[in-house]
Amino acid sequence: MAIILGAGIIVKLVMLLLLSFSVVSWGIILFKFFQVQRAKNESERFMDFFWKSKRFDAIASQVDRFANSPLTVLFNEGYNELKKVVETDSKSDGSALSTDLGGVENVSRALRRATNSEITRLEKYLTFLATTGSTSPFIGLFGTVWGIMTAFEGIGKTGSASLAVVAPGIAEALIATAIGLVAAIPAVMAYNHFQHKIRVLINEMDSFTTEFLNIVQRNIAGK
Amino acid sequence: MNSKPSRIDTGIGVSFIASAVIHLAVFLLWVWWGQLYSPQMAIQETYYVDVVNLPVVDPLSGSSAQKPGDAESAPTPAQAPPMVEPSPSRPAPKVGTKFIKPAAPQESAESESAFAERMAKIERNSENRREEAVLEKLRSKVKAGGSPKTGAPGADGTESGSRYGDFVKSRLEDALKVTSYSTTRNPEVAVRLTISGDGKLLRMKIERSSGDAAFELAVRRAIDLASDKFTAPPNHAVFENGFLFKPKGISNGVSR
Repeated sequence: MAIILGAGIIVKLVMLLLLSFSVVSWGIILFKFFQVQRAKNESERFMDFFWKSKRFDAIASQVDRFANSPLTVLFNEGYNELKKVVETDSKSDGSALSTDLGGVENVSRALRRATNSEITRLEKYLTFLATTGSTSPFIGLFGTVWGIMTAFEGIGKTGSASLAVVAPGIAEALIATAIGLVAAIPAVMAYNHFQHKIRVLINEMDSFTTEFLNIVQRNIAGK
Repeated sequence: MNSKPSRIDTGIGVSFIASAVIHLAVFLLWVWWGQLYSPQMAIQETYYVDVVNLPVVDPLSGSSAQKPGDAESAPTPAQAPPMVEPSPSRPAPKVGTKFIKPAAPQESAESESAFAERMAKIERNSENRREEAVLEKLRSKVKAGGSPKTGAPGADGTESGSRYGDFVKSRLEDALKVTSYSTTRNPEVAVRLTISGDGKLLRMKIERSSGDAAFELAVRRAIDLASDKFTAPPNHAVFENGFLFKPKGISNGVSR
């Protein structure tokens, strides 16, 4: 405790900045952990439910059960677009779906748009983790350099280079680097972990898009 | 048209609050841990009796055993001659032994006067020797070009700085006992120390070394350790002296 209170004003400010970085990055880590975990679990459950169900309207009525899965967003967007295409075609010539595959393109675009928005949602705040991981050690190092400069000034004024004079100043300075590393290490680890998890979810969304379009195309071609 | 599914994402604000609470808990744990297991000092504190500022034993006041000019024997307690008298509880000596004879009153009076005369003679001799030693020191100091103004605290001003040197030497010896380590048989390191008027170690210069790096390091550490214990030199004058470090002890007054 005394090692923090005994530091200079600049070192204290650096420590405060690093502490705020640490608090925010841990807040993001907690938020992302639950968000990604829920997305992963509910996606698995949704895919089970999707393959067991025979009809899109039955799936659409149950989609709220898997609200945190990005696949449900894709499904909703795709299903809504498909309904629009069907309604338009019904009004134009009375048949269920046109066979020129123009409707499939619309659904594909809607799914791509939904995928992008879900990727943006999942990757939100991760840049802060990357920033914390890369800059915190340097900020801490700055505090340390400043603290050691101050300590050497003190040594020059007292005229004594004994360990009792030198050691406390350097210890107070080094605490800034320590706090910088404490803030940076979890941020970097969490960033890499979430990047991997989100990449898996993106792959799942791509696979789901392909499957969804295949089903739609089979149905259209079968009409 | 189907509405978007309602998500139950925990708000980021809740996560920030949880994070702040975790940080606070870790900080309190750290403070508690620091109080519970405070860092131990590697070297135990040594308590000194400041022999420099203690009143100097005046040879006139009684000690016949004290030799003038011998600083280390200065605190030796006075040995009273009546100690040779037998204690009452002691068993009576055998007849014919020379150990203690029951003295007649007349003999006792004679021996007392002889004893007093002998004591006076010893005191006169010791006083003369002491004065001679002081004069000799002063002569050597003046010859060496030293400043006669530097006097030790509590001294009579005639012993220019030599007692502060002893004081520094004793601190260095205590510290060397802690740090002493050598790899050769009889290492020697001659060091010149300069101490500022407020008792801070200004300069340390190794003037000569037998080449034992381990002992040199031990000497440096000893000086570093002892420098915390230095007090201000007499009259706040800068003190400079050479010390010869050996594993068995330190001698001061090493010339350049």
